[in-house]
Amino acid sequence: MAKTFTFEIITPEKVVYSDSVESVVADGTEGSFGVLAGHAPLITAVQTSILTVTDANNKTVRFAIDGGFLEVMANNVIVLTDTCLKEGEVDTEKARSEKDSAEKAILKVGSAGEKEKAQAALRRANTWLKLANK
Amino acid sequence: MLSTREIKQRLRSITSIKQITRAMEMVAASRLKRVESRVLASRAYTDKMHQILSHLVSSSSLETAHPCFVEKAHEVPVIKIILITADKGLCGAYNNNIIQKVVRFAKEHADKTIRLVHIGKKGNLYFSKGGYSIEKYFPENVEKFGYSQVKALASQLIDGYEAGEFGQLYVFFTKFHTVMQSFPSHIQLLPVEKGAFEAKEKLQREYIFEPSADKIIEALFPKYIETQLYQCILESLTSEYAARRVAMIAATENAGEMIDELTRSYNKARQESITKELLEVVSGAEALVQH
Repeated sequence: MAKTFTFEIITPEKVVYSDSVESVVADGTEGSFGVLAGHAPLITAVQTSILTVTDANNKTVRFAIDGGFLEVMANNVIVLTDTCLKEGEVDTEKARSEKDSAEKAILKVGSAGEKEKAQAALRRANTWLKLANK
Repeated sequence: MLSTREIKQRLRSITSIKQITRAMEMVAASRLKRVESRVLASRAYTDKMHQILSHLVSSSSLETAHPCFVEKAHEVPVIKIILITADKGLCGAYNNNIIQKVVRFAKEHADKTIRLVHIGKKGNLYFSKGGYSIEKYFPENVEKFGYSQVKALASQLIDGYEAGEFGQLYVFFTKFHTVMQSFPSHIQLLPVEKGAFEAKEKLQREYIFEPSADKIIEALFPKYIETQLYQCILESLTSEYAARRVAMIAATENAGEMIDELTRSYNKARQESITKELLEVVSGAEALVQH
């Protein structure tokens, strides 16, 4: 059996996931990376993307996370993110409607901050849909 | 001695007061349950955030250029205080405790200018009378004070600090412990005390930072202030409901005791009046017989 480490995903609302796992694959701001047991200490920003976890029983679980940070420290990996949806928890209709409204908001004339917000919302909705479709 | 009629009136009013306090207790209990789970859940997030930031600060050699770490207390003798109180009373000493703490703090720092930012009506009411300078007051309910508002407030505060509007920022709130216990407390939010982030155990190895430590601090820092502030509000809200619930339980109990007492004296008064009437009838009848 492969070595494992503890992995947690925490949002302001709850601890979404906490278990010992074999590997984690995430999208950092500098590109995709994987974490295995014994990884060197690392702190990084992660993108709004899909995070793939392989747990101790060799099952993969996927999460859609909305930006945030990931820390690796002595076989403890923590992800802090604003929202996190597990595979199968995605409300496709809601994601679609959010995508539509975000797309409309981007086309509208607005301040740079509003545009950025809309783009973030679009990325989030797209990630949700991607998670739901696979 | 009150007449039976007066006693009856008081009984009625106390019974309805008891009903009200019971209802308020129940409302507070259900709200408490809701926020309590929220406060406990977000504590995990806040703690981890603090942990990551402390790892970041203590392990990176960066003599943090981030302006929020720079001490300005000597240059700018202005202290900003965010005070979180309730909007309503009837919650025991909850409001008073935290207000008194701020008053004491203001006395200790009388050499500096104190500016207050109020979240919650009660604090605003108290300090608007006492010649304090109130900078801002958020009139909406504390409960409705959502994360987006916290975010806006936090970014305003950070900008203000960087621009040198104030030298220190404190938050006064009530930390929730158990339903029976909560503590009025305060934290220094800005400048960030490096001491608060000293790691308990020395870290064995250097971290890898992606993209770079400065960039991460830049992104993480506003988040940290936001979550701290939000946590303070949640803690206060939970303490408020807990305090209200305890106060209302006590009030309901007191009302019950009073009802018991009044019922007793009502019965006594009733009996006395019956005895008196009987005596009158009997002596009246006797007087007739003697004629």
